Amino acid sequence: MEKYFDVSYIWSSLPILLPFLKVTFMVAGLSIIFGTFLGLILAVMKLGKNKIAQKTAHFYTTILRCTPSIVLLFLVYYGVPALADNFGLYLHDLNTAVFVVITFTLQFAAIMSEVIRSAFDSIEKGQFEAAVSVGLSPFQAYRRIIFPQALVVALPNFGNGLIALLQEGSLAYTIGLIDIVGKANLIIAANYNTHALEIFIALAIVYWVISILIEKFFGKLEKVFSKGKQTINTN
Amino acid sequence: MLKINDIHKSFGNNEILKGVDLSIDKGDVVVILGPSGSGKTTLLRCINFLEKADSGQAGFGDLKVNLHGASKRDIHTIRQKTAFVFQNYNLFNNKTALENVTEGLIVGRRVPKADAIGIGKKALDKVGLSDKYDSYPSQLSGGQQQRVGIARAVALNPDIILFDEPTSALDPELVGEVLTVMKNIAKEGTTMLVVTHEMSFAKDVANRVIFMDGGVVVEEGSPHDIFVSPKEERTKKFLKRVLPEDYTFYI
Repeated sequence: MEKYFDVSYIWSSLPILLPFLKVTFMVAGLSIIFGTFLGLILAVMKLGKNKIAQKTAHFYTTILRCTPSIVLLFLVYYGVPALADNFGLYLHDLNTAVFVVITFTLQFAAIMSEVIRSAFDSIEKGQFEAAVSVGLSPFQAYRRIIFPQALVVALPNFGNGLIALLQEGSLAYTIGLIDIVGKANLIIAANYNTHALEIFIALAIVYWVISILIEKFFGKLEKVFSKGKQTINTN
Repeated sequence: MLKINDIHKSFGNNEILKGVDLSIDKGDVVVILGPSGSGKTTLLRCINFLEKADSGQAGFGDLKVNLHGASKRDIHTIRQKTAFVFQNYNLFNNKTALENVTEGLIVGRRVPKADAIGIGKKALDKVGLSDKYDSYPSQLSGGQQQRVGIARAVALNPDIILFDEPTSALDPELVGEVLTVMKNIAKEGTTMLVVTHEMSFAKDVANRVIFMDGGVVVEEGSPHDIFVSPKEERTKKFLKRVLPEDYTFYI
């Protein structure tokens, strides 16, 4: 009789699971790139003077932050092809990964817009005033004085958003994406739903290692970018 | 050299500047005194367009602008002719002291980097910070930061330097070192417009004093005119409040 819980399953499943990290990373990476870009546009809308743009950006952020990832995934998976039908485009057979990237791009953009906006708002107005007073154009002031300081403020929150994206991304298998979680579920199904615990422990280990690595990486980045923030040596 | 005509500025329903005229010649050291809320800081900030006045005209030498509808180009030109020293220093936190001073030269005025560094070092030497070229603002005391702020303004060699209460945020012990720097650059003939509560500076260094209250200029004249023989009641009342108790006027 096989044991109910067999520790060796944890280690033996890892080589089967790890190759599928490629899919997880590719989907996450694309979502981060597109999401940051869209988030930047939204942040600019929020920081500008146009009231309509501001309201639109805030509305978008609220909707997306209030929708659970799994709901958003299905909305996109069924909704985008349905919408495309109205325009005569047939999108029902698109690779699932495309829908996953769309979903998490939209979600990450909402988070990023707040990270970027709050980072810029945290820089006191006097920095901008001093910059234009010495003769910099507003654009030069933003690029050379405000942006570098805002980047340092945004970095920890960006790292958090990154880790959160990876966690939310674990739900992508629900619409059929075979990333590392998807493969895990396939293995479990193939084993007639036995040894699920060991497989999920293996998944947990993988996610822990990745998250810790990301944390350490961003910790180092923060140190590099904080060169202007050393405190006075009072001794 | 600088003429302001009939400047008005309101913040919401609050009219802060109710029609102020100002005229400054080259080499003048003009001090603006007044109670808080009198509009002195607003006046200063309107001159280099940190605030946009509601109406009024300004003349910088040959350049005449409408203070409300000035074009971006005119604003840029005027900002090239002026420099501002802030009450809370506003040094660029991500740049060293030397970089703070050279930023406006290199980026704002396209001065070649080597020349800018030379000018910058001279300016920092002038304010007594030769050993702090590579320090970041967070490593400097308040007085040192303000002196870097003044060096930053001086290095630009502007037509006029605007000072907005430069010593108000400093510990009393550090006020002296900043006032000394200001005195020295005044002696060199720099045109300065200073909003301050430091009466000693107004008495000893300024060649003109303007007293503002409630958004208008109440009285102006030489330091002797204002401190020793003020004409207006409001001026006398203000001086009685801010000067030592045994101070009397002579008519």
